[in-house]
Amino acid sequence: MDPLSYLARLWHNLTHRRKVERELDQEMTAYLALLADESSPRDARLETGGIQQLKEQVREVKAGFFMQTILQDLRYGWRMLRRSPTFTLVAILALALGIGATTTIFSIVYGVLLRPLPYPAGDRIAFVFNHFAPQNAEHGTLSIADYLDWKRGNHSFESAELYRQSLFDVTGAKDPEQVQGAYVTAGFFSMLRVQPMMGRTFLPGEDAGNAPGVAVISETWWRSALGADPQILGRKLNLNGVPSTVVGIMPSSFGFPRPTYKVWTNVRLIPPTRRGPFGMRGLGRLKPGVTFAQAQLDTNAIAHHIELENPKTYHRMTMPVLPLRDGLVGNVRAALLAFLAAVLVLLAIAAVNVACLLLARATSREKEIALRVSLGAASGRLIRQLLTESLLLSMLGGAAGCVLAYLGVAALRAWNPGNLPRIEEVRLDSVALAFAVVVSALTGILFGLAPAFQTGRDKLASSLREGGRGGTARAGRRLQALLVMGELALALILVTSAGLLIRSFVLLGQVNSGAQAPPENVLSMKISPIASKYRNSDQIIPFYKRVLERAQATPGVLYAGISDSLPPDRQYDYDTFVIQGQQLPPGEINPAVTCPIVSPDYFRTLGIPLVRGRFFTEHDTENAPPVVIISESMARRYFPNENPLGRRLKASGPDLNGTPFMEIVGVVGGVRYTGLDDQPADAYYQPYGQTMYYPRTNLVVRSAGPAAGLASSLRRTVRDLDPDTVISDVTTLEEALGASVVGPRFRTMLLGGFALCALLLAAIGIYGVIAYSVAQRTQEIGIRMALGAPRSNVIGQVVTEGLRLAIAGTVLGVAGAFLATRLLSSLLFAVKATDALTFAIGPLILIAVALLASFLPACRAALVDPVIALRHE
Amino acid sequence: MSSPKATNLLQGTLDLLILRALSLEPLHGLGISRRIEQITQGTFQVKPGSLFPALHRMEEAGWLAPSWGESENNRKAKYYRLTAAGRRQAQAETEEWQRISLAMAAALQAT
Repeated sequence: MDPLSYLARLWHNLTHRRKVERELDQEMTAYLALLADESSPRDARLETGGIQQLKEQVREVKAGFFMQTILQDLRYGWRMLRRSPTFTLVAILALALGIGATTTIFSIVYGVLLRPLPYPAGDRIAFVFNHFAPQNAEHGTLSIADYLDWKRGNHSFESAELYRQSLFDVTGAKDPEQVQGAYVTAGFFSMLRVQPMMGRTFLPGEDAGNAPGVAVISETWWRSALGADPQILGRKLNLNGVPSTVVGIMPSSFGFPRPTYKVWTNVRLIPPTRRGPFGMRGLGRLKPGVTFAQAQLDTNAIAHHIELENPKTYHRMTMPVLPLRDGLVGNVRAALLAFLAAVLVLLAIAAVNVACLLLARATSREKEIALRVSLGAASGRLIRQLLTESLLLSMLGGAAGCVLAYLGVAALRAWNPGNLPRIEEVRLDSVALAFAVVVSALTGILFGLAPAFQTGRDKLASSLREGGRGGTARAGRRLQALLVMGELALALILVTSAGLLIRSFVLLGQVNSGAQAPPENVLSMKISPIASKYRNSDQIIPFYKRVLERAQATPGVLYAGISDSLPPDRQYDYDTFVIQGQQLPPGEINPAVTCPIVSPDYFRTLGIPLVRGRFFTEHDTENAPPVVIISESMARRYFPNENPLGRRLKASGPDLNGTPFMEIVGVVGGVRYTGLDDQPADAYYQPYGQTMYYPRTNLVVRSAGPAAGLASSLRRTVRDLDPDTVISDVTTLEEALGASVVGPRFRTMLLGGFALCALLLAAIGIYGVIAYSVAQRTQEIGIRMALGAPRSNVIGQVVTEGLRLAIAGTVLGVAGAFLATRLLSSLLFAVKATDALTFAIGPLILIAVALLASFLPACRAALVDPVIALRHE
Repeated sequence: MSSPKATNLLQGTLDLLILRALSLEPLHGLGISRRIEQITQGTFQVKPGSLFPALHRMEEAGWLAPSWGESENNRKAKYYRLTAAGRRQAQAETEEWQRISLAMAAALQAT
């Protein structure tokens, strides 16, 4: 067939629909008339069959028929939707909620877990960590010595690189500023296969021990802090006191490991004298054809070798190889997948809800459908019509959902709840939109299928005769009841999951950080003196002493102290230790514990109770005997049934043999330094007057009332003493406590929100079913009341119907929740996944909601006037 | 409803029969049906449910052109005539059919 003429016909048929129809009608009329002339009109009709069916058969072969019927179906569907605006609005809202929430969560999951990394062949890059006893950090860091051993023994990676993240105090630019950055090896950038937008990256050999300082900076920082200075290349910045020449600028699209990083400078691989300090992360690109598993075998062999050579430092050492994405994303995978599962459940509930609404409507449309069948509509055509209607509905819902998702993603990005990694890569892009379209279409088909099949099964004659009160109505009601049961079960799964998270969060909020001072009365700020100004403790200790004196003298301050670690999750350093006279199995050492360096008043400032002995005093200086204070839990663990006061300990390590033991002079209450969800840390405290140089610490003060107002005067105090000192992270303990649980709070709020939506939808669903069943049985109820049934009886009967649904749904839901909440266990705190209280309350809430939702139609049933009800048709 | 296989077979036959029926003069629907009955000596009686969809399909394909005229008993009727494309199609289908019927005859004789 000539395609051009076909297109012409198509155009003609679509644009001259009326004319084509009229001509078809005339042709048929003429044919019938001619036939009637030959025989009788009755025979003519018999021979022809239904004239409407005949016309329909002709229409089906005409060009554009399919398109035309779709347009027709759409037009008709649109008219149907407009005829019942309440139904349409409720359905679109439910779908928009479901699809919008699903698309938002999908955008996050996709952006964080699935979107390709912004490095060419980024899935071939891996972190290399250090795991050994007794530290037992799953992704522990390397020392330079470990790195050099890995580099020497490496067979699996194209090159062995490393980086160490660090805060840099930057001077020599404008105002002193503290920025996030990293020390990296010379091959770091070429391993990632990224190019600078200006200048160059590092050259081979620039990570040598004696190499001059060079720096690559981020475009963002160059524009914001350095005024987009075009002469920046070749200029020198002081990075932690080291003059470093700026050699290149990375485009803002680059940010390793995270976009907040502003500067990368060369690490100096000075031949190490010991295994430490740690803090280095290995990074490499797999050679072609090498798998992660093979690389793992390779690094483990190297680790074994290192362990044999350093039996005092390492036990059971491995070097875990972790794909870059897993390392960047960290432990949010479980939470994100839980969100996605939860939101899909919510979507399913929304879809079931709309299916119920459609089903109710389909039953009341039985007469219309029967009429259409008798007028020549094929059943396939009818099902298509109904599916078009539900697709139209789901697409409208999907469009509204996309608007919601756009707002949701924008809000989540601005808020960045729970400090999600890679959140800056989350956006509502074509992938997410495609997802929304597919999800909308699938939902539309799914919830449209139920009523469509119901219609397909209709018996034409019985429908016409019974006027919508026949067997099909009963079958529809049964299907509807099944759907609502499923919906209730799904809602219960969400309610239970949210309940578990809420219980966890409440328990987490009751956890004491160990600081007895009112959290709002405690204010802390990080102070970072410029390293080049304070080269040793003789210089830094007097400075801190002056800061403390001035802070103490500030009006409103009760106590002032300094500490490099702060509760609830700001652990600065941890180290292994050895107790004088302790008998350890050969080759074993004590595990690492938190080791804060504090000023005498730190304990009073935070309200950490003294259990026995004494606090530090101003006399615990370099010239006095070294002293140490240990935490209660450490006292209990290492000095059971004995007085730890007077015993002595020190940091362990092969190169620390010369350091003196410190005498334990006090035991203080436990403090959580590694998060509220962790145990109070084993810790030993050293006085700041007796320790080696340390770069930065926290000033912390306590006042009689809320301390937030003290921030500016304290800031001024420090600036007055040394204008180059960088001040950052000004926060009250109350804010810090809140910030430390922002992840759990977000999870709880999100799942709680889903559960609320699910309850609401389930309530609407059960209300719809009961209300519909009441409407169907108005006549029956009228008869019963005319025969003397009391109103309470009628109410009871209707509510029982809802209750039966609710109980069936609950039984299903409890079973489902038992299976589903297991996936949540890693997100729970101090609550078991099968927590009895939650599993008792969830069903109660659900049943209460179901009772409420069926009580309304029950009341309406009871108000039925028997006389009107009997006439009801 | 008949099975799709039978419909397909009929459809090919029907198209050729319609093209043959119109080879002499334009006819309206009933006329075509009667002509087919006549030229096949009553073997094929085309029902309107098959005839009209086929006519419209062939019209869409450009083989037939419609025109409105008066029938023998002075009624307005839609007449179909063969277009040039229709004639070519009739030619092609006739040859095709002859080839098939020769082959079928040979096949039937061979046994």
